[in-house]
Amino acid sequence: MYKLIEFIRRIYVVLLFLLIEGVALYCYAHSTYYTQAKILAHTNSVIGGLQNSIFGVKHYFTLRGENEMLAERVAELETELEFMREQQAASADEMAYAEIDSLTAQGLVQYRHMAARIISNTTNRTRNFITLNKGTMHGVIPNMGVITPDGVMVGFVVACSNRYSVVKSILNTDFRSSGKIVGDDRIGSISWSGKSPYRVEMNNLSIYAEIEVGDEVISSGVSQYFPADMKVKIGYVESYKRNESQTANDVVIRLATDLAKVSNVILIENYDYNEVSELERAVESGNYSSSGGGTPYQN
Amino acid sequence: MQRYLSYVGMFIGVVLLQIFLFDNISLGIYFHPLIYIAFIIMLPLDMRPIWVMLLAALMGLVMDMATGLCGLNVIATTAVGFARVFVISLTTGLNTGADDTIPALYRLPQKNLMTYMAVMILLHSVIYFVAESLSMSHLLHTLLRIVVSDIVAVVVIWYIVKLFIEKILNK
Repeated sequence: MYKLIEFIRRIYVVLLFLLIEGVALYCYAHSTYYTQAKILAHTNSVIGGLQNSIFGVKHYFTLRGENEMLAERVAELETELEFMREQQAASADEMAYAEIDSLTAQGLVQYRHMAARIISNTTNRTRNFITLNKGTMHGVIPNMGVITPDGVMVGFVVACSNRYSVVKSILNTDFRSSGKIVGDDRIGSISWSGKSPYRVEMNNLSIYAEIEVGDEVISSGVSQYFPADMKVKIGYVESYKRNESQTANDVVIRLATDLAKVSNVILIENYDYNEVSELERAVESGNYSSSGGGTPYQN
Repeated sequence: MQRYLSYVGMFIGVVLLQIFLFDNISLGIYFHPLIYIAFIIMLPLDMRPIWVMLLAALMGLVMDMATGLCGLNVIATTAVGFARVFVISLTTGLNTGADDTIPALYRLPQKNLMTYMAVMILLHSVIYFVAESLSMSHLLHTLLRIVVSDIVAVVVIWYIVKLFIEKILNK
């Protein structure tokens, strides 16, 4: 017994090292982007204020560029608004108005938008997250889509605290979305390989898709995070080639914006997200019955 | 007492520098200097290995909490804290396990100090970046990240060490 104690006394540093490494490896191996985002959301309750102030100073130096961009965007929206007004005036149909009012009242308007400011943003890791200055008390909830003010895809919200929220960036190797070439409805899978913060990949795009270098790539419209009719911009085709099995194209996309320089974003809530997700889950688990009777489809 | 406070200040200083400055510099995926390792490098050379390892693990834990990484920093910093005694012996020829008189960090010849620092930084970043990528398919890409980030880290930490020795320890 004495010899055992003596032996342990001699190697306790090694034992402790193995224990700490073992626990850390276990935690790391079992961590997901979701656990990372949850930790970040909690940490931000402590250091978020300081980050907010530091980003405020940094933000001051980019105001000019942002103002120019916002002015352009306002001009664009004014044009659209004017067009809509003219259309409405031309077809002053009382019934149509009544129908729109009724849909809004019933909660059938599908998307809600909200502006937020980035207070922390990394682009030099393999799993990058963005912290925003708005949380649940401002109406932010997980699974809201995030775009730049000029309509470029940024990511989606994965965790929220009271005052802050954490976004899984498109520059995160766990990020998945779908995209398509403008003018072609075939869909490819968008992901990031972790190599360059300026490029993402679109894999499994049909070989029949019409594709040219320089073509614009937008969201597919089937994503629950981004409005189907909004055409959220992703970037431009930089190069493409057949995949190894020659069954589809793998496309390299140059991102439409430098994510490191983005400081303001727009959050988009899809009111139907939970209903659609529940319905899909029910169908996958075999609990869905189209004849009714306790299906999630019924309210 | 003042000496201990200097190390507490150093701990807080490098953590803040990493989180609020170096993690926010976006110069591409290859630029990710991990400068908080400066704290483990600057701990007294004659400190007991168990304390070095525990302080290294604490540093890793704080960085994990601040960056949302669950265990990655602890894996890398604890390994470096554990290996430090061997790195010192290898790069300076001193044996901290024996009864030799161990000189303070500031008494090390510049060449030995630089070698010791560079090996510690390299060891840490190799463990960190390989564990982060967890893929052999991006080996070249990971190597490039290690090289670029380490060059920057060596330069920055060299100045931090000099500043610490001259201004804080007044040597």
